[in-house]
Amino acid sequence: MEEKTYVSGYFPDDKDLIVAIKELQEKNVDIADVRTPFPVHGLDKVLKYRRSRLPRAGFVAGVIGCAIGFGFQAWVFTQAWPLNFGGKPFMSVPSFIPVTFELTVLFAAFALVFGFLISSKLGPGSDNIIYDEGVTDDRFQILLEVKNANGDALQESLQSVGALGVQLHEVKS
Amino acid sequence: MYVSPVREPLISGEKSYSKVTKDIYAPMEGKPGKLWYAGLTAALIALMFGGYSIFVTVWDGIGTWGLNRTIGWGWGITNFVWWVGIGHAGTFISAILLLFRQKWRTSINRSAEAMTIIAVMCAGLFPLIHMGRLPLGFFIFPYPNTRDVWVNFNSPLLWDVFAISTYLTVSVLFWYMGLIPDIGTIRDKLVPGIKKKIYSALSFGWTGSARHWARHESMSLILAGLAAPLVLSVHTIVSFDFATSVIPGWHTTIFPPYFVSGAVFSGFAMVLTLMIITRKAINLESYITKAHLESMNKIIIATGSIVGIAYITELFIAWYSGVVYEQYAFVNRAFGPYWWAYWIMMTCNVITPQLFWFKKIRRSFAATFVISIFVNIGMWFERFVIIVTSLHRDFLPSSWSMYTPTWVEVGIYVGTFGLFFTLFFLFIRFFPVIAIAEVKSVLKTSAEKFIKKGK
Amino acid sequence: MYKSFEFTQNIKKFLIALMVIGALLTVVGVFMNLDHMHRIMANVLLNGFYFTAIAMGAAFFVVVHILGESGWHTAIQRIPEALGQYIPVGGVIMLLVLLGMGDLYHWTHPDPDDTILLGKVPFLNPVFFSIRTVVYIVVWTLLVRKLRKMSLASDSSPDDIKLFTRTRNWSGIFIVIFAITSSTSAWDWIMSIDSHWFSTLFGWYIFVSSFVAAVAMVIILLFVLRRMGYMDHVNEEHMHDLGKYLFGFSVFWAYLWVSQYLLIWYSNIPEETIYFVKRQEDFGMIFWANVIINFLAPFLILMARGTKRKMNWLLVSAIIVFVGHWIDMYVAIWPGSVGHADFGLLEIGMTLLVLGVFLFSFFRHFAKAPVVPENHPYFKESFDYDNIR
Repeated sequence: MEEKTYVSGYFPDDKDLIVAIKELQEKNVDIADVRTPFPVHGLDKVLKYRRSRLPRAGFVAGVIGCAIGFGFQAWVFTQAWPLNFGGKPFMSVPSFIPVTFELTVLFAAFALVFGFLISSKLGPGSDNIIYDEGVTDDRFQILLEVKNANGDALQESLQSVGALGVQLHEVKS
Repeated sequence: MYVSPVREPLISGEKSYSKVTKDIYAPMEGKPGKLWYAGLTAALIALMFGGYSIFVTVWDGIGTWGLNRTIGWGWGITNFVWWVGIGHAGTFISAILLLFRQKWRTSINRSAEAMTIIAVMCAGLFPLIHMGRLPLGFFIFPYPNTRDVWVNFNSPLLWDVFAISTYLTVSVLFWYMGLIPDIGTIRDKLVPGIKKKIYSALSFGWTGSARHWARHESMSLILAGLAAPLVLSVHTIVSFDFATSVIPGWHTTIFPPYFVSGAVFSGFAMVLTLMIITRKAINLESYITKAHLESMNKIIIATGSIVGIAYITELFIAWYSGVVYEQYAFVNRAFGPYWWAYWIMMTCNVITPQLFWFKKIRRSFAATFVISIFVNIGMWFERFVIIVTSLHRDFLPSSWSMYTPTWVEVGIYVGTFGLFFTLFFLFIRFFPVIAIAEVKSVLKTSAEKFIKKGK
Repeated sequence: MYKSFEFTQNIKKFLIALMVIGALLTVVGVFMNLDHMHRIMANVLLNGFYFTAIAMGAAFFVVVHILGESGWHTAIQRIPEALGQYIPVGGVIMLLVLLGMGDLYHWTHPDPDDTILLGKVPFLNPVFFSIRTVVYIVVWTLLVRKLRKMSLASDSSPDDIKLFTRTRNWSGIFIVIFAITSSTSAWDWIMSIDSHWFSTLFGWYIFVSSFVAAVAMVIILLFVLRRMGYMDHVNEEHMHDLGKYLFGFSVFWAYLWVSQYLLIWYSNIPEETIYFVKRQEDFGMIFWANVIINFLAPFLILMARGTKRKMNWLLVSAIIVFVGHWIDMYVAIWPGSVGHADFGLLEIGMTLLVLGVFLFSFFRHFAKAPVVPENHPYFKESFDYDNIR
């Protein structure tokens, strides 16, 4: 059991949040997390997050789906049990297009969704801690992690950039 | 993000972020009204009647339907195509309109997607029933079996299996991923208790973290990029069910894009029909406004006109082709024994939507409601015309026949309405009807008056 | 603020040189093929139609953005707008096609026992065909001129919302007329070459083909203009959007190609399959190259987000697509009119010549007006938006 302490504070508006984050960054305060009710425009750039790798995961899964879809149909019709349907060639490529396409999309979609859920640790039974229930309503929250017992200093710096409801949270993880 | 002052606001009234949450949460609070119970009861009765009709079909056999050897596809497939078509609006709105950055999508996408999923479920029933032995429905999937044969990948009917099950799966994923932040909002509104626990599990532990949002947006965009061609592919493949054949009136190359356009057309009509009632019933007038109505009606007129041009193209090319069978098929459609179905289709799909060229009409809720029902009817008849009139005059005149549905077929159709409305009533009761987070993200730029909470 | 484009002597000289080279090659080519009149005419039709269709596709691009209440496109709107002004010039080339109708279209002289073609006579006869051709050109010219005029009028009248509404109304008229004529003109000019054959999808297929080519042309010209020091205001977001268009509609084109091919292949009706049999047997390489170039190339290059935001990658795929759809038209026209794959001085020369005329027309019109419609009510939106990462 490790114990972590966080300091949180919120802003009532997304613009104030961005201004405050920039001010904190100037003071070299590390921001543990920012929680908002909706995707705030440009926030990921301010926080210098790297672009998500999900699209790549989707692409790879799509290629696999495509290969499985096409390969399986080709295998069934030329190796496993070649059957003559209306005089069409066994390897009737145009006929394979629809199913190949569908499997490509299906695989890619699953990769994207599960990639998202796993990388964000979301899912049924997920025990993510919610520090402030207003975050899904109209509060834009900043979370700072307390290291080396600098809790008071962090609380002060949050208050100095105009955060409301600044408080400490002790979390066991 | 700058928005020109010339643009009409999408959300009327004075709104703050918390007001949005409150407004959209309101219909889920407290006990449901009498109207809701009445509606749900009616839907359940229809559903039970449909269940009984399916039982009769399976117990007594397909002979209880009005089909015969010439007309092997009747109401069943008509309803299947009709429901699948309706199931195109939601994903069109949330995927294609997302790619085109249409902000008005945010107020209607959630419920439209729910309708999509329900409509596809209704549609999926019909091929299953048509196959006769319901418990053996899994035969359509390729799995290693003792008979040692695989399914026929040359058959458009099998493509349908893949297309529709993929579409349903991806639509559910897309819809639910969009829903989890809003379920999180509901979870945080509830007082601790069993209900909160359920919503907590359903929200997948959503925290609103900026990292999650960044990934969420990225995922939604790529999913939209995948769902856009997927929407097209589904009705394309449904159209292949007909167009790969050699039946005059079915085999025509314009079918794929024209079916897709028709599907979006009918889907939007159904969304409008329901939204116009829903917004009144649960007080969402300030979120679904005339601006939304006008945008939706513009899509109705665009897709409706594409469908109209396709009808005329088919007609002209049938003459141009010089193929006597093609020519007969189209003359017979318009002036044969089923002429009335053809002209209902023409009036409802091609002529009435043209009224939307008038600004007054496309901004009127009453007029739109009436026209949207016309479109629903017209699009049902389109499928009826394509299926029944193309089949009833076989190549051999001795096989010519007529088709009338029996009460069993009508019953199953009524039953799917029951299923549709049962699930829709449950949806508006237990889930937020409007995408709360997405509306908030456009609130500053698109609300009539945004109230900023002071410090 | 926005540097106006100047049609300098250097550009003029370059384009005239291009036209002269094209003309010389054409003359040589014509003399080499004097006994192959159908090949000469096929060249006239191919280049006449291709560039006219691109001009119409570009005009459609503007119109559809006006109707869709778009804001981002205003940063580049003047490029497709100026491209659309080529219509009357392209129309003149299409009039040349009328002169050589007999060498291109089998239906101009049907066999007396060919009941199929005789049945089409009420529609496919030289007089009605000529009337239709003239009507298309005249109506299209009026429409693109009207829209251009209204766009230019906005430069001198800021905040004129009425003008904006009027532009939208005219865009509505444009789209209704073009929805019909885009199909019918494709049937007339292209599909009727294979006089017995028919496909209901054909008009939409040709339309999408030319729309993709138009988007490619806009990208190419954007690159050229930026190289010359104009259009600095165009940022990565605009390129990203253009890239998405090129990507998306290349995929859509492939979708229509497959739809048409698959349905005809599957049903296997001889009257219909003959179209593809001829192309696969006598034009095998180029027939399949068409699909690979126009689908796979833009699909693979532009799938990643990064490539859509870099002008060089965009340019590469745009050039591929531009050449690709020329080939698409070639595959549509040649088998029915010439019968076998020919490619030589004539083809190169005539393409260069018409391309020169086309570009000359573009630059001339582009120089006549400011490079952006600054008074467009949504103009400012174009510089404050971004694409999701």
